[in-house]
Amino acid sequence: MRCKGAAKKRFNKRCKKWNAVYESLAISGVAMVHLNRVHLEEKRAYWAMVMPAFALYLLVMAFPIILSIMLSVSNYSGGRMFGGEKWGFAGFSSYARVFTDPWFWNALKNNLYIVLISVFGQLPLGFIFAYFIYSKIVRAPSFWQGVLYVPNIISVIVVGLLWQVIFSPHGPIAEIVNSIHASSFQGQLKAIFDGAGGFSLSDDVIKKILHLAGPSGQAMFSDPVPELRDLLASYNGQPISEIYTALSNLFVQKWSPAFLTKTDIAMLPVLFVILWMYTGMYLILFLANMQKIDAQIIESARIDGANEGQVMRYIILPALSGTIVNSAILAISGSLSSFALIFAMTGGGPSRVTEILSIYMYNNAFLGRPNFPLANAISLIMVLISVVLIVLTKAVEKRYGGKEE
Amino acid sequence: MSEMIKETKLQKALAAVGRGAVYIVMSLFALMTLYPIFWLIMNSFKTTREFQVSQLAFPRAPTLQNYVEAWKMGDFGLLFPNSVLYTLGATAGIIFLSLMAGFAFAKLKSRATKPIYNSFVIGILLTTQTLMIPLFLEVNLLGLYNTRLAVLLVYIGAGLPIGIYLATEYIKAIPSAVVESARIDGAGFFTIFLKIIVPMSVPVATTLAMLNITGLWNEFALINILVSKTELKSLPLGIYKFSGSLSTDYGKQFAALTIGMVPMLVFYMIFRKQITKGVAAGAIKG
Repeated sequence: MRCKGAAKKRFNKRCKKWNAVYESLAISGVAMVHLNRVHLEEKRAYWAMVMPAFALYLLVMAFPIILSIMLSVSNYSGGRMFGGEKWGFAGFSSYARVFTDPWFWNALKNNLYIVLISVFGQLPLGFIFAYFIYSKIVRAPSFWQGVLYVPNIISVIVVGLLWQVIFSPHGPIAEIVNSIHASSFQGQLKAIFDGAGGFSLSDDVIKKILHLAGPSGQAMFSDPVPELRDLLASYNGQPISEIYTALSNLFVQKWSPAFLTKTDIAMLPVLFVILWMYTGMYLILFLANMQKIDAQIIESARIDGANEGQVMRYIILPALSGTIVNSAILAISGSLSSFALIFAMTGGGPSRVTEILSIYMYNNAFLGRPNFPLANAISLIMVLISVVLIVLTKAVEKRYGGKEE
Repeated sequence: MSEMIKETKLQKALAAVGRGAVYIVMSLFALMTLYPIFWLIMNSFKTTREFQVSQLAFPRAPTLQNYVEAWKMGDFGLLFPNSVLYTLGATAGIIFLSLMAGFAFAKLKSRATKPIYNSFVIGILLTTQTLMIPLFLEVNLLGLYNTRLAVLLVYIGAGLPIGIYLATEYIKAIPSAVVESARIDGAGFFTIFLKIIVPMSVPVATTLAMLNITGLWNEFALINILVSKTELKSLPLGIYKFSGSLSTDYGKQFAALTIGMVPMLVFYMIFRKQITKGVAAGAIKG
């Protein structure tokens, strides 16, 4: 229907537009039908290809976030979510509880420590190692890369439990320290016997041994000199090394390290393991990006008389600025997603000092009486931190984007 | 002239010293990396008693008893096939769905591409571990708790953001003329995807396989909240069992840790180059 007469006068503009549409339709009718069919096929194929991935993505990302928002302001206490017990809106009390809980700030602080050890430990170390390999200061590049990356491919559970044993009083650190103590003690024993011209039970030797044993050793006897003489006499005839071993076992106090059980230092071994584990990843990252730099630029700079420092300052660092900033952001998001390593190594202990946000959240949901609103509030706070990061990344990308690759 | 020669000699000497220092520092770090792993494997062949007496020496009478007992106690006979299924199944799913969606994003025209693709890119930094509590509740709500399906769906969903990002960027670089000429020949989009795009995307598929196989084999945080039945668990969950009540039985614990570690070490030795390439490509900006 075309616009005519009175209608045309009243709705002049709209009529013009409609008339134009009718005309174009009349002209390109046949072509339009064909194009539509082709377009429809492409559209259908598009959605058929995108939907499975997108639906799954919504299922594990979008839906949990919505659920989390709902539950964090509710009084849900477990059980059937719909059709079961009644639960409803309970305000923002969970958020208030999180922000006033000192353990939340403790966990956040530990996450921050992880970020700091990444940014000021892993990144510089990885960068320096990458530079050593890149500039051919060390030979066999794939050997170093291959070895330093090994911790990354081992399960964090294995890494956590392994280092838990290493730092424990039953671990090799304790054994190394104790064996050093023991061998120094035995050396001094040997000096005493050598001074006496071999195995001897003279008062002088006994007193020297007791002096070496110190007050705690002397306290083992009620009447030290004769008792120790009797003890030594029972070893008479056996090789002297047995006597050394027996005495050092008796007198040298075993050192029992408390790396993971002392609350004020327990975070240090954790940070060490994180440094140990991920430095290799940054090494690979930096090396790959250094190798993208046009070698001719560096070569011609060298010919022009630039030294190592200048090449680093004016060519390599600017070329890698984007990678460095992105690695830092990666480190922050990595610290938010880290869970299993500390879960296995310390479980957040001793007395919660090594808790990170994810463990703090996990314990609120699964340890003791579950508090799902609180756990979901924590989850959302972590999501918010991630969102801030993403915004930050975008800003950084705009600033440094051109320099990469 | 002679002074210049002297200076270069001095420089050479300094460079040699510096090079030596670099070698020492890097060797120390490499030793620190490898020794704990070596120490673990070595001690897994000792009885717990021998371990308590001496930890640094080689085993006096190497025994496989720890392995036999740890294998039985950890139900590794059940968990091993589970780990293989979860890892390979989810990796295959991630690769297929990523390539398919990547093809659509890169070569088919739609106004939906920008918002959907960007939402995936955002997901790269929005880690799924952050959402483990709501995920746990969701899986319960859907009645999927303690099912293999839940593990596979969550693993695939969590792996898609990086997969789609890499696949889309890769397929964008394939000339559009390839697709267009196939269209003129009358091929449908799915035929083009399967016959042309998939074979051309083997390099990016390899990268994704390396990233996901190494990541999923070791995954713990998510599967920990998805299953509790032994017959559905994966290796990392089984190994974690050795940390609690069994933690003082070092022999068995070390055997369990070695069982968990060795498959990936072997995989790494075979595919080191590809894994390294994947790491460099995968750790990208969000």
